[in-house]
Amino acid sequence: MKSLQTSRLLGCFVLSCLFVSFRGQAAEMPLTTAEGFAVPQPGRVFVFPRDHGSHPEFKIEWWYVTGHLFTADRGRRFGYQATFFRSASPDKTVQFHLAHMALIDGKSGQFYHQERLNREGWDAGAATATLDVKNGPWSLRLLPSTADAPAGERLELRGAVRGEVGFAFTLAPTKPLVVFGENGISRKGAAPTAASYYLTFPRLRTEGVLTVGEETLAVTGESWMDHEISSSQLDENQVGWDWAGIHLNDGRELMFYRMRLRDGSADPASTLTWVDAAGVPRKSDFQWEVLERWTSPATGAVYPVRVRLTSTDPASGKRVALTLVPLAKDQELGGKRDGISYWEGACRVLDADGREIGSAYLELTGYAKDLKI
Amino acid sequence: MNVPLLTFLLRHFTLRHWRLAPKQSALLVLILALGVSVFVAVRLANRAAVSSFSNFTDTLTGQSDWVIESPTGSFPEGVLPELRAALGPRPVHIIPVVEVTGATPPSPTDTTKLGRTTYTLLGVDLLGVANLARPQDRAFFPTGNNAFWETFNRGPQVWISADYAPTPPTEIALVIDETIRVLPVAGLIPTAPDAPRAPATLMIADLAALQQISGKTGRIDRVEFVVEGGPRLEQRRAEVRAVLETLARPVAASAGESARWTVAPPGARREAAEAMTRAFSLNLTILSLIALLTGLYLIFQALDGAVVRRRPEIAILRSLGVEERAIRRLWLVESALLGLAGGALGLVLGWAGAQLAVRAVAQTINALYYATTVASAQLTLAEVFLGLALGVGAALVAGFWPAREAARTPPAQVLQRSARPAAGPRLGRNLALGLGFVAAGILCAQLPPVALAGGGRFPLAGYAAAFLWIFGIGVVAAFLLPPLARLGRGLGERFVSVKIALGHLRQPSGRHRLAAAALVCAIGMTAGMTILVASFEQTMQGWVKRALQADLYISSAGAQSASAQNRISATTAKALADHPAVARSAVLIAHFIEVDGIPTLLSGADLENPAVRPDLPWITAPRDDAMFDPARNAHLALVSESFTARFQVGVGDTLRLPTPAGVRPVVVAGVFADYGNERGSILMTRRQIQRWFAEDSVSNVALYVQPGVNPEALRAELLQRYPGLSIFTNAKLRAEVLRVFRQTFAITHALEVIGVAVAMTGLALTLISVLLDRRDELTTLRALGFRRQQIARAAAVEGLAVSACAVLSGLALSVALGWLLIHVINKQSFGWTLSTAFPVGALLLLGAAVTVTGGLVGYAVGRWGADLPADREE
Repeated sequence: MKSLQTSRLLGCFVLSCLFVSFRGQAAEMPLTTAEGFAVPQPGRVFVFPRDHGSHPEFKIEWWYVTGHLFTADRGRRFGYQATFFRSASPDKTVQFHLAHMALIDGKSGQFYHQERLNREGWDAGAATATLDVKNGPWSLRLLPSTADAPAGERLELRGAVRGEVGFAFTLAPTKPLVVFGENGISRKGAAPTAASYYLTFPRLRTEGVLTVGEETLAVTGESWMDHEISSSQLDENQVGWDWAGIHLNDGRELMFYRMRLRDGSADPASTLTWVDAAGVPRKSDFQWEVLERWTSPATGAVYPVRVRLTSTDPASGKRVALTLVPLAKDQELGGKRDGISYWEGACRVLDADGREIGSAYLELTGYAKDLKI
Repeated sequence: MNVPLLTFLLRHFTLRHWRLAPKQSALLVLILALGVSVFVAVRLANRAAVSSFSNFTDTLTGQSDWVIESPTGSFPEGVLPELRAALGPRPVHIIPVVEVTGATPPSPTDTTKLGRTTYTLLGVDLLGVANLARPQDRAFFPTGNNAFWETFNRGPQVWISADYAPTPPTEIALVIDETIRVLPVAGLIPTAPDAPRAPATLMIADLAALQQISGKTGRIDRVEFVVEGGPRLEQRRAEVRAVLETLARPVAASAGESARWTVAPPGARREAAEAMTRAFSLNLTILSLIALLTGLYLIFQALDGAVVRRRPEIAILRSLGVEERAIRRLWLVESALLGLAGGALGLVLGWAGAQLAVRAVAQTINALYYATTVASAQLTLAEVFLGLALGVGAALVAGFWPAREAARTPPAQVLQRSARPAAGPRLGRNLALGLGFVAAGILCAQLPPVALAGGGRFPLAGYAAAFLWIFGIGVVAAFLLPPLARLGRGLGERFVSVKIALGHLRQPSGRHRLAAAALVCAIGMTAGMTILVASFEQTMQGWVKRALQADLYISSAGAQSASAQNRISATTAKALADHPAVARSAVLIAHFIEVDGIPTLLSGADLENPAVRPDLPWITAPRDDAMFDPARNAHLALVSESFTARFQVGVGDTLRLPTPAGVRPVVVAGVFADYGNERGSILMTRRQIQRWFAEDSVSNVALYVQPGVNPEALRAELLQRYPGLSIFTNAKLRAEVLRVFRQTFAITHALEVIGVAVAMTGLALTLISVLLDRRDELTTLRALGFRRQQIARAAAVEGLAVSACAVLSGLALSVALGWLLIHVINKQSFGWTLSTAFPVGALLLLGAAVTVTGGLVGYAVGRWGADLPADREE
């Protein structure tokens, strides 16, 4: 699950629409929410490329790409984030499009990020027939099929952080799409409408040109992409969440989230899922341990930037400990006291012996401010 | 010379004299101050009036990098995705802007005045524009779920300037096109502390909302581009410009098409606005120099007088070994100090004057050029320096000759009780030279104007001619004094005071020459302007009478400025025409376009219908009636006289008009007079313009009522039904046009009055100087038993004679200047042909007033002089 962070402008409006909570207990699914938005229904048969596109009958939707990039000599590494959000106004007359781009330079520790908010129109929008979202000069789309690349095989990402950073990447899935949840539906809470469709490309081979400052670099790497569709509301009792998407060097992935309750404990709905080399997801137990906290000079928020996740490996049945070490501590987006800020950072993944066994993106929300205002 | 000596001399020589004659010194400073103040006031007022026309978007976005504007005035919205696609992934913000003007609704009690406050409503995507926000910028919409959506979803609303009112109202009523809109005030325009403050007349609305209420749905007026920061910014800016320029090239590379838009930095808009009013500002600036010019003569006079009076002391200094150079420097320092004092006082007076003048200047700009508002006129550091420099410069120029004279005083002169007053610089004594200046002026008057950027023209040679004549006739004027003295000989036989005065005038001193020249300058320019204004008014009245024939004139009540684009819908225009009380109606549509990059007006009228065809005052009438024949007039145009001057075209020439339908060639068939519009205008059949612009709204409707219908009653009825319209009866409109016209000349009148006042002060100063020079003579006269009254009378005759001679020359000069102003300067600046009118009464009154005042001043000075002690101290 991913968060939608917000523009200072839009405040929590979009955010509160996106924050979904779940209690794990299935209930009777209504067809629409009180506002009249569609509610995800079990057993949906996804049709592609149609379902990569926008679903405006649902209130909220996002396409969330994070990844790790290396120069050809492996001398430089970067983490990047490119996120496109769509959120409908309560009266369904306006679609808001919010987007975030960020880059962490592993060598210098310099963090770049920028936000754009537009209403749907000439400068922002999402196609319904296929994946084709844009926000100003930023865009993510499924490339049309060519002779050497059949349809659905490649995505194109164009992004930037002001004039300082530029993304021109091609992303090709190396694994089939994973649909998280049960029966095509990710149940999110006690409320009957609290559910989402959660579609993920856990591993995409990524290559292209990265511009950082005066440098233009040819890079390759691996990315993760979530596409989540829902109409749910924020749960009263939740203050934020911690999420991670982990690429292990052995070809497997982990998806983890931990919903934090107002009293500081984790919601029972928190979960960790292993995805095997063939792309089959399997839930497992987990333990969360904070190793180091970092205080943001901009917002004063205290983030657990270095953590240890312990889980039972479904393949071996053994307990494994994964330590997430950030490329840099300051990977906070927003960074304004009056807005909503969150931490979305590229991490190295170390095993119990300190050997690097993968890469991760860690997301920490609700630390700067209560997400519900 | 060493500094201690200079300081010593200043203290014991210069300052002592100043202290002994504080009133004279003060008068001198005042003259300088007036000259400087008028210049400063006009400069400040000009700047304040133009600066209120700023690039309003700056307030929101900081500085844009590029702005594209269409030569036809607006773009279809479809251009936006095209622009984004062409720019690709380049990090550039694209900001479409709609600009609308609206005026406060007419009050129920007074619906007849033009010139209500015009507001500029700027429509920008308020969500999108926040993407440019820096951390210190504040947002338009409140944060928080409910507050955001409530504000966002409220429909058309405006954000206003903090300067709009001390307490912002909850809603504002504005006339936009033909409708009165009551718009909720969402809040104050959020500006960062470092951003330019939003002008009081600026309002911001969300783009879509403003498009909707102004009938501009689907259209935008300009697009601004902000290239995002980062490395190689300059290179990336240039790339963006290149992309925009490539995209602007016409699709069909045929020779007939022009670029779809112009790409320019945002400053260009402001420059274009300044260019439009540059001729107007320059004209005012030149006029503002009259007072300083007049003042120059007088300062020279006063300093020269001081040299003469202090000559014995100078001689003592020289005998004591003070060098010639030191003496000259001392005098120059004295001049500079006077100039500094005058400049400083002038700044204060000028600032005060500007507060009054800025209203007048802004009104003129509003009426002739574009919507502007009264911004407060602020003195910048540059102006402070300029004012002081002007004061010091003028004083040094005027003090140069006296300083030389002083330095040349031979030490022996200490023994001479009375020195012969200087006859003045040789220049001033040469009749041939004076006539030479006049002749040079005549040559200059034949030269063409200087072209300014943006289509303005400045009659540089015309002004040079004016100055040559002022100077030349000023020199010649003094030569009238001896013949005048001979003429008065008969009187001299009978009155001894007259005889004494005439004796002095037969051999006029430099003093007399200069006083006469100063007066000639002031009178000549004042009377010349009077002739221009009278001619203008006569022409205007004739034009108004001819051009305004209908009974009722209707426009949007939002159209309060020359650049307002408020329209009347076709439906309303038809309803007005179909009213049972209306016999026939005429409509006019006007579009602002750019021909060869110069803004002008393209108008359409129903030329085919003889009943409503405008009765145009021809400069060059069309050869045949093709212009009025629907079968033949589709590609013919009439142009105004200003247009021919601005664009250098005439009958038979082809114009290439940019229209939304592409560039269309039209042939000029005739030229008409139009004193309402300085930019020039093109008039065509409305049919064609409607077709090109695909728009059926109109700018003006003129109604001719049925016989027996009272236009006042119909006006009242229509206003009831259409409160957003501005309706004038024929008589009211004529009166209003002339009121606006007179108002534009109000500031010129003020400048003239100051010029004459300075000259009169100068005359007093001259006579004081003359009497001081003749102190010995006065002592002798008193010894001979002359009464105070007689001495005063003698001085009065002298004053009378000098002013009479100046009035005669001044009026002669004014006829020449009047001709120059009407046929050269005005024609070259504005392209308007005026019929000449001589306001004989006003000119005689001016002449008589100046002459009589001259006599009175002389008398007063004479009475004062009669009591002068024989002592040489001043």
